[in-house]
Amino acid sequence: MADTSFLSDHSMDRRTFLRRSALLAGFVAAGGGSFLSACSSGGGASGDKGPIKLGVLTDLTGALAYAGVADANTAKMVVDEINAKGGLLGRQIQIFLEDSASTESVGVTKATKLIQQDHVDLVVGGITSSMRQAIKGPLVERGKTLYIYPQLYEGKECTPLIYCSGPVPAQQVDPFIPWLMQKTGAKKFYLPSADYVWPHTLNGRVRQVVTASGGQVAGEEYFPIDATDYSTVVNKIMSSGTDVVFVTVIPPGITPFLQQLYTAGFTKRGGSVACVYFDENLLNIVPAQSMEGLYSCLDFFQNIEDPFSKQILDAYNTKFPGSAKFTAGSAATGVYRGLKLWEAAVKEAGSLKQQDVVKALDHAKIAEGPGGPAEMVPGQNHARMNMYIAQAHSGSYTIEKNLGAIDPKECVQGVK
Amino acid sequence: MDVPRLAGIAFDVLSLSSILVLLVLGMGIIVSMMGIFNLAHGELVLLGAFTVYLAHKVGLGVGLGIVLAPIVVGAAGLLLERSVVRHFYSRPISALLATWAVGMMIRESVRAGLHGRSEVVVAPFSGTFAIGNVYLSQWRVAIVLLTVAVIAASYLLLQRTRVGLQVRATLDNASLARASGIATGRVYALTFAFGSALAGLAGALIVPLFALYADLGVTFLVRSFLAVMVGGVGSFEGPILGAGAVGLGSGVLPWVVAPVLADALVFVIAIALMRFMPNGLVHRG
Amino acid sequence: MRGSARTLPAIEVLALLLATALPLILSQFQVIFLTRLLILSLLALSFDFAWGQGGVFSFGQGLFFGLGAYVAALLATRADMTSAFVAIPLAMLAGLVVASLFGGFLLLGRRPASLIYIGMATLAASYAAQRLAAGWSKIGGQNGVSGVPFPTLGGADLEPGRGFYYVALALLVAVYLAFRYLSRSQFGLVLAAARDNESRVGALGYRTAPYKWLVFALAGGVAGLSGGLSAFHEGFAGPNLLGVLTSTQAVLYVLVGGVGTLAGAVGGVFVMEYASLELSTRFASAWPVILGGILLLVIMFLPNGLIGAVISDRARMPTFGDRRAKPKRVPVDVSEEETVGSASA
Repeated sequence: MADTSFLSDHSMDRRTFLRRSALLAGFVAAGGGSFLSACSSGGGASGDKGPIKLGVLTDLTGALAYAGVADANTAKMVVDEINAKGGLLGRQIQIFLEDSASTESVGVTKATKLIQQDHVDLVVGGITSSMRQAIKGPLVERGKTLYIYPQLYEGKECTPLIYCSGPVPAQQVDPFIPWLMQKTGAKKFYLPSADYVWPHTLNGRVRQVVTASGGQVAGEEYFPIDATDYSTVVNKIMSSGTDVVFVTVIPPGITPFLQQLYTAGFTKRGGSVACVYFDENLLNIVPAQSMEGLYSCLDFFQNIEDPFSKQILDAYNTKFPGSAKFTAGSAATGVYRGLKLWEAAVKEAGSLKQQDVVKALDHAKIAEGPGGPAEMVPGQNHARMNMYIAQAHSGSYTIEKNLGAIDPKECVQGVK
Repeated sequence: MDVPRLAGIAFDVLSLSSILVLLVLGMGIIVSMMGIFNLAHGELVLLGAFTVYLAHKVGLGVGLGIVLAPIVVGAAGLLLERSVVRHFYSRPISALLATWAVGMMIRESVRAGLHGRSEVVVAPFSGTFAIGNVYLSQWRVAIVLLTVAVIAASYLLLQRTRVGLQVRATLDNASLARASGIATGRVYALTFAFGSALAGLAGALIVPLFALYADLGVTFLVRSFLAVMVGGVGSFEGPILGAGAVGLGSGVLPWVVAPVLADALVFVIAIALMRFMPNGLVHRG
Repeated sequence: MRGSARTLPAIEVLALLLATALPLILSQFQVIFLTRLLILSLLALSFDFAWGQGGVFSFGQGLFFGLGAYVAALLATRADMTSAFVAIPLAMLAGLVVASLFGGFLLLGRRPASLIYIGMATLAASYAAQRLAAGWSKIGGQNGVSGVPFPTLGGADLEPGRGFYYVALALLVAVYLAFRYLSRSQFGLVLAAARDNESRVGALGYRTAPYKWLVFALAGGVAGLSGGLSAFHEGFAGPNLLGVLTSTQAVLYVLVGGVGTLAGAVGGVFVMEYASLELSTRFASAWPVILGGILLLVIMFLPNGLIGAVISDRARMPTFGDRRAKPKRVPVDVSEEETVGSASA
């Protein structure tokens, strides 16, 4: 049945194929006159004429819709701003929005569509690590397209062509833990966690930093992702004399966990809770009293002083009133930062040719963004950005400390 | 292991079992009566939770919301039975899938209504009872007590009232019941509404422990069905015992093997139990 | 109006011709998307065979699909075993072995298990497998296994595109023909008779349980094959593939297309996946609600699925229902029974 001549599809390199079709498209569109110029300048996947194509692939429906919608909104906002100022390299940017429906197999199909059918120059999106792992196949490994992953995550994504614009463990843990120990005099940590990759990696880092700072880890426990009862671990926390609970239990389990911890009197006896994914979206997941005093460490909070950050937030809220919130935990700040870094890179490269853009993106800088300036650390595929420590007080966050620009310390030889 | 610690674990098991009992009681009644596994049961639970949230939002208060939830969800159940479920009494598999579709519609509508976010619902009273150095949440204790009350009330309703008699007669022999002048169609509708009302109450009671989010109902769904089947279909006490057994397994196994393995093991044991005891734990004769 | 008994073969031939010719004119993405549908069609066929032919309501086909996907993905990434001649048969074998063990437990033995028990037990097993894989860090945990390389076929990479398409099509046609043959053989007749009236077949001297067990095991093997192909084609395997999502998907394809007709199962995949691709982003948050509504309408008003609208009733097998289970509890106003059609003439 199968004709073997079809098995050798790979004999025609996909880039060649795309380049040829792009050329053909450009040729037809321009009536033939632009053939030479197209050949010399060589655009990206979208070709040399018409709009630049940006793929936005995120979870508009399903469990992560609250974050995915915010990411899509943010991408629209950034693109509208760029287009209003005359576009990028004189070309408008066109968004190709696709819903990955919080389901990896759907994400893979949509990723394939963006690459094979829409021929986008860049894809931004993906929220969970499992989604990134699933879509990077069709996007990067097989599709050879530039991909920006905007979410805070466990790090260790060092595939060429993937650039990460959200914070990683070194940024969320390294300065935060010593600060917390100094401020509260805490020595003993307890790490209750959901059983998946991010908590395992993050806890490894926490353990390292706590020990190096002269503290100790009293316990580290993992629960199924949707576990809902934590009374046993709460009792252990209470009886072990723990000072800080560094928690990576995720919603929905985080609600009963924090409530049980609160009712057990952990904070009343002077204990502190730290949870580094807590942003404004999480403020109404737990009664305010149960999260009173909780510490978080992120690249952006809505209450930070930075005037440009306030400007972004206002613009977002005016453009999308009542929609998903612009926060760090939903990756919206990462989307903003990633797209602006890419814009800077394209401007520097002066073309959309992938190798030129990548070369420029590797050290791209923006002077302003959510939380302040940011830049890619050369050779590390991750961004240096400002980090903030905030504390929850009666249903909102107060900024405790601006930690300044923190290095991601990812993808470095010899450094874990 | 010290005594307070053991007491803590015991309370965990009791608390989890009560939640499961609340969830399976309505489900069990519907399965026993009509042979229908209602896959929208989780969403009826969700609707109960949503009712409390709405009541709280418009200023009626959480307490009143908890009272309203079974009424609202009971009405929704009646509507569901009249419009969809009644067409499927002789087709249990189609019923399974039809209710799954209905559940999906409810769940996704709620998700859209909440913008995919979670909303907190604060219990009417919070605080703890301290026994030694073990702290028991007051609301969890209240849930355990309310569960006992709901079981007792349902039992009395079925055993001591005229409606209960008609229900039991229909369950026992529908054609004979019809021949004796019982409007079995109406009995089915009312039973379904009653089972739904219990689901609504369950949702209202558990939402302060968690938060309101679209997947609240489905979290416990598979476990609840297993509890019903392990306990035994066709009896009042079967599902309750089943819930206790599943709650006990889920509470104790994590202490014996790794939590993640324990989680899967509960299902495996339940599947095996059902195979060797197809009529459930409580099977008379 | 519904066509004659020849309508089905005509549809089958036409579909095969289209499936062979179309990739030559379609774009790369369309070919890749169609390949995905062919692979999912194998999953749908596996459920349709178990339920429509064998009368075994396997609500957990995702378990075997995911297992096949994990086997292929792990072989390719951890053992460098990318040969399609080894990895894909092994994925199929994994599905076959696990399904025959699980099916033996469920279906053999002195007491026959009830329809609902099998449905709930298979669903629960699929759910448990998903949770186990999600928590098992050695096989990637929640992130699953990604970066699966292209399979190799006689030394050449089999990339998603036309080559992969025709391989998947060949496998689909082979499985389709095998199932079609089985359903019309002596074996199929016993099963059809058992669906109609199990005790009567028993009285004629047939033990139906081994037949059902064999159907369940074969269905598991085909689901494993489908999963193995999927892992190579999509480049990843994850816990969700094992779970409730995949299992219900398999059921819904068949339900929408038409139970027991094989062709209906394949049609269901195409209709539902195309609808999702075209409509989901456009309607965003409303789409899951619309999808639920469509399914409800199909279940209520098209019990024979979409294909029931074009295939004559005479081409279908008699009805099947769990009549003995709840005979006394049927309200008077309802007299329909579980209808499971069959293509057998």
